[in-house]
Amino acid sequence: MKDQLKIAIYSGDIPSTTFIERLIIGLSRKDCEIYLFGFTKKKISYSKSVSVFAYKNTKISKTLFLIKYSLLLLLFKGKDKRKLDAILKKQSKNLLLDKVKCYPILWHKPDIFHVQWAKGLADWVWVKAFGIKLVLSLRGAHINYSPIADATLAAMYKENFPRVDAFHAVSIAIGLEAEKYNASREKIQVVYSGLRPDQMSVKLPKENPVFQIISIGRPHWKKGYTYAIDALKTLESQGFKFHYTIIGGANHIEFSYQVHDLKLENEVTLLDTLPYAKVQELMVDADLLLLPSIEEGIANVVLEAMQNRTLVLTTDCGGMQEVIQDGYSGFIVPIRDSDAIAKKIIDIMIIEEKAKTSLLNNALDTITSQHSEEEMVSQMLALYQTL
Amino acid sequence: MAKTRSHIQTIGIVLSSVPGYSETFFRNKIKGLQAHGFRVILFVDYLRADDASFSCKVVSAPPFGASILSAIWYSFFAVLKLFFIHPKRAYRLYQLNKKDGLPFKENIRNLILNHFFLGHHVDWLHFGFGMLAVNRENVAAAMGAKMAVSFRGFDLYLSPLKHPNCYDILFEKTIDYHVLSQEMKHDLRGYNIASEHIHIITPAIDTEFFIFHKKRVFTDTLELITVARLHWKKGLEYTFEALACLKEQGVNFHYTIIGDGIERERLVFAAYQLGILDDITFAGKLPHDQVRKTLENASIYLQYSIQEGFCNAVLEAQSMGLLCIVSDAEGLAENVLDGKTGWVVPKRQPKVLAQKINDVHHLSIDEKEKIITTAKYRVKSIFNLEQQNQAFINFYENKRK
Repeated sequence: MKDQLKIAIYSGDIPSTTFIERLIIGLSRKDCEIYLFGFTKKKISYSKSVSVFAYKNTKISKTLFLIKYSLLLLLFKGKDKRKLDAILKKQSKNLLLDKVKCYPILWHKPDIFHVQWAKGLADWVWVKAFGIKLVLSLRGAHINYSPIADATLAAMYKENFPRVDAFHAVSIAIGLEAEKYNASREKIQVVYSGLRPDQMSVKLPKENPVFQIISIGRPHWKKGYTYAIDALKTLESQGFKFHYTIIGGANHIEFSYQVHDLKLENEVTLLDTLPYAKVQELMVDADLLLLPSIEEGIANVVLEAMQNRTLVLTTDCGGMQEVIQDGYSGFIVPIRDSDAIAKKIIDIMIIEEKAKTSLLNNALDTITSQHSEEEMVSQMLALYQTL
Repeated sequence: MAKTRSHIQTIGIVLSSVPGYSETFFRNKIKGLQAHGFRVILFVDYLRADDASFSCKVVSAPPFGASILSAIWYSFFAVLKLFFIHPKRAYRLYQLNKKDGLPFKENIRNLILNHFFLGHHVDWLHFGFGMLAVNRENVAAAMGAKMAVSFRGFDLYLSPLKHPNCYDILFEKTIDYHVLSQEMKHDLRGYNIASEHIHIITPAIDTEFFIFHKKRVFTDTLELITVARLHWKKGLEYTFEALACLKEQGVNFHYTIIGDGIERERLVFAAYQLGILDDITFAGKLPHDQVRKTLENASIYLQYSIQEGFCNAVLEAQSMGLLCIVSDAEGLAENVLDGKTGWVVPKRQPKVLAQKINDVHHLSIDEKEKIITTAKYRVKSIFNLEQQNQAFINFYENKRK
C-alpha cells in the first residue's frame, strides 16, 4: 500500500479559524494523514485521519509535553535533536517554548508543514533542514498591510519567502502582493475558499418594513465600519429609511461613539458576536450585506451571503473583484469612500425584483463554480502532491 | 511667594498613577498649589519604581490584584484597619454606600478597596478623571472632605458609552466638577448637574517655553504638523483623506506627526493606500524641546480630531505662531476662534478640511500674520500657567467667579 501523505496544518491554535477548520475537515476525508500541532484552546474531536499533538496553555502541560518529546528524541533521534537544538539556539528568543513547539514536529516529521500565518514563518524555516516541505498560506493582513507598516517584518518575508516550497494564495490579488516580498510567481497557487452546498440556508427571507443592511465581522479597523457609518449618516440626512446592523461591532468604543455622535442610535445596531446559525439567519433576512473593508483576502462572509442569496455590496479591496462583478453578481465601490457607499445603497434600494433575482442567481453560480469546498480541498491536495 | 493663611488646606488628588515627566498638567498643578501654601497628597492605584522622589506625599492602594494570595493578605490588613484604626469613617462609608443601594457584599468589597483613603485628612478630595470617582462616590464624604471631579474629553464622552450608566451614582451627589470648556459644561449639564457646581478651568501651557521669536517663513511646500497620539479619536485618517485630496489637486505638502500609539499600523496603511506615505513623517514620540524645534519648522498645525476635550497641543502650536486648523470636536472651537485665531472645520468632512488648508495656504502674508499675532496674544494672556493655578486656588478656596 502506498504511504499516505502526512500533512501538518499549523495555525498555532486548535481549533483554528472557521476556514482553516474547513480545510482540515475536508482534507481528512481524502487519502492523507493530517497532523495538528500547537496548543488546544478547547477540546474538539476530528476523524481518525487527524492526529492532534497539542499541549494546553499551562506551565504543567508544556513541561510534561517537553519532557515527553525530549526523551523520545534523545533516545531515538539524538542526531536530529542536536541539529535542531543548534538551529534553535541561534534564532530563538524563548528557547524552552520553542522546544515545546518544535520537538513534536521533529518527532512526527510530517512530509509537508503548512504554515497558515505568514508572520510566524521565520520560526518554521528549520523544517527544511530535515527534508520537510514548507508551504505557506498568504492571508489578509499578514501580507496586505503588516509588512507595509513594519519594515522588520517586510525584511523577514524577503529573506524567507524564497525558502518556501509552495504558497497557497487565497486570491490572485494577494499572490501579486506577496511577489513584492520575493515570493516566486511559479510557486504561488491560488486556491479559493470553499463552501459546502449543504450549508446554504433554506430559510425564506422575510419582508422588511425598512431596508435592512447587515455587516458581519470582528470590530477591527480594517473592516472599514467607520466608512459605512458615515455613509449611512448621509442616507439618514437625505431622508432614506433603513436599518444597519453590525454583528460583532458591539463593545467597540470607536463605533459606539460614531453612532452616538452622528445621532444614529435608532438606525444603527451594534451587536455582539452571535452563533453561526443565528448569523446565517440574520444574513438571509437582510436586504443587503455590506462589506466596507479596506483590506481583505476574499471575505468569507461575502461568499456565504452569495450562497444564501443575499445581495452584496463590497469595496474593491484585496481579492473581492475576483468574486463580485459590479452589477452582475453584486456591487462594488472603491475603498475609503463613504459617499460612494451611500450612492450605491440608494441605487440598490430601488432595484427591480427581476434584476435582483438575476444578480442573486449569478452570485450563486459564482459560488457553485468557484468556491465549492470539494474543489478547494482537491486543489490543496494537488498542491501538496506536486511537492 | 507662598501665601500665609490661618488653616493650611490639604488637597487630596486622586490619579491612577504618579504623573510621569511628560504629564505636565498634574505636575504643574501640584507645583502651583504647593507654591501657594497648599499641602497636597496624591492618592494612586499603583506605584512605579521611580515614583519615590515625587514632589508631594504619595499614598498608594495596596497591590490587591497581584495574585490571589496578595489579595487575601492585603484584604485581611484592610479589614483590621477598618475595624481598629478608622472605624468611624469606615462605618460612615458603609452607611453611605448602603444608602446608594450597594448590596452588602459589594459594600464590604468597596470598603476594603477604598480603605487606604480613610486614614488621611484632606479638605478636598479631587478625582483627576471621572472614571476614578466611580465606586468611590462616598469616600470624600466618609473622610469629611469636600469632593471634586475633573472631567476630560475621554471620560465625559467615551467612558459612558463604554460603561453605560457608570456615572449614575456620581451625578446624584452634590459635588463640584471641573471641566475644560463651555461645551463640556453644557454637555455635563445634560446630566442634570447644576450650573453653579460646574467650573470651567481651561488647560494652560508654558508660554515662555513654547515661543518662537523669528518671523515665520511660508514656502511653496506646505509644512503641516500635528502633535497627537496615534489614536482613532485624533481623526488622523480623515486628515489623511484631506491630504490625499490636496495631492490630487497638485498641492505640494509635507506632513509631520509627532506621537506614537496603538494605531500606527492602521495609519501607515491608510497613508499607503491613499498614496501619501512618502509625504508623511511619523516622527514618533519626542521630548518637549524637540517638539518645539519641529514646530518651528512647520507653518500650519492641524488638529482634526473626532473627540477632543480641549487640546494643549493646539495651544502650544498657537503660542509658537503656527496657523491652526482644527475640527469642531467639543472644546476645540473654544481653543481656536474661527477666523480670528485660526480656523474651525466640521469634523468627518475631509473635503472641507482640504479646501480650508488650501484657502489658508493662499492667504496673504499680512492676513496670516494677523491671525498668528491674535492667537499668540490670546494664548499668552488666557492660557498661561499662572492663570490656571490661580483658577484652581479660587476653586478650592470657594472664591470662584
